[in-house]
Amino acid sequence: MEWFLVTSAAVILFLQNYPLYIRSVPTENELKFHYMVHTSLDVVDEKISAMGKALVDQRELYLGLLYPTEDYKVYGYVTNSKVKFVMVVDSSNTALRDNEIRSMFRKLHNSYTDVMCNPFYNPGDRIQSRAFDGMVTSMMIQVC
Amino acid sequence: MSRQANRGTESKKMSSELFTLTYGALVTQLCKDYENDEDVNKQLDKMGYNIGVRLIEDFLARSNVGRCHDFRETADVIAKVAFKMYLGITPSITNWSPAGDEFSLILENNPLVDFVELPDNHSSLIYSNLLCGVLRGALEMIRKLRYTANA
Repeated sequence: MEWFLVTSAAVILFLQNYPLYIRSVPTENELKFHYMVHTSLDVVDEKISAMGKALVDQRELYLGLLYPTEDYKVYGYVTNSKVKFVMVVDSSNTALRDNEIRSMFRKLHNSYTDVMCNPFYNPGDRIQSRAFDGMVTSMMIQVC
Repeated sequence: MSRQANRGTESKKMSSELFTLTYGALVTQLCKDYENDEDVNKQLDKMGYNIGVRLIEDFLARSNVGRCHDFRETADVIAKVAFKMYLGITPSITNWSPAGDEFSLILENNPLVDFVELPDNHSSLIYSNLLCGVLRGALEMIRKLRYTANA
């Protein structure tokens, strides 16, 4: 998995537990970040199985704060098609409210749908869309 | 005119996603079949040509435009009537050549290319080349039919 480290936030998309897109802003501790991403996937899976069949509502697609560590907060979101979005933000970033995170996930979901509509994109490929990158960049700028 | 009575002045409404995705699937399948952008462009042009020679009849029946007196009028009809009728957009006409026999149509919001991003390995692909073929077919048929005005 190659990734460019940027500030203290990251966005990752997973399909069946392998990453489709990873974008993060520089941190000192790459290895810790890897570890956190994989444990967050486990938490996402736990939450999904806990929810059972009621996964239709938009509000239930958003999984909320998965777990807070001392440095980072991890948020999750899963689509009806079982694509998991994980967002990691620095704990020092206390200005972010829940509905802001929700709207960022919604934007991510919409941009992901647009990427899927590109006839040259094969589902399961790493995402290499300029429009998607642009949207994530503007989101990161907003957060950091 | 029976054709107009059946269709009405409004075209049937449908969402454009299926249309866009169908065209996208067509282009990507051609890319896989031919593996060479130039061949794909040629095929798109041929397909467009076949569409154009048929579409012109529908266009003339629905739009009721008379004979165009000069090339500028033709350009206007293409941009403001034809594109509006079939794609719902009005391209802008620019770049007239000094002799007045060439112009450019710029499509700002082409519905065929919604969500499409050309990958780097298809840099010489003309994605919307079907439209060029349609124009070519339609205009050639006009020349052959020597359409005369209704009124």
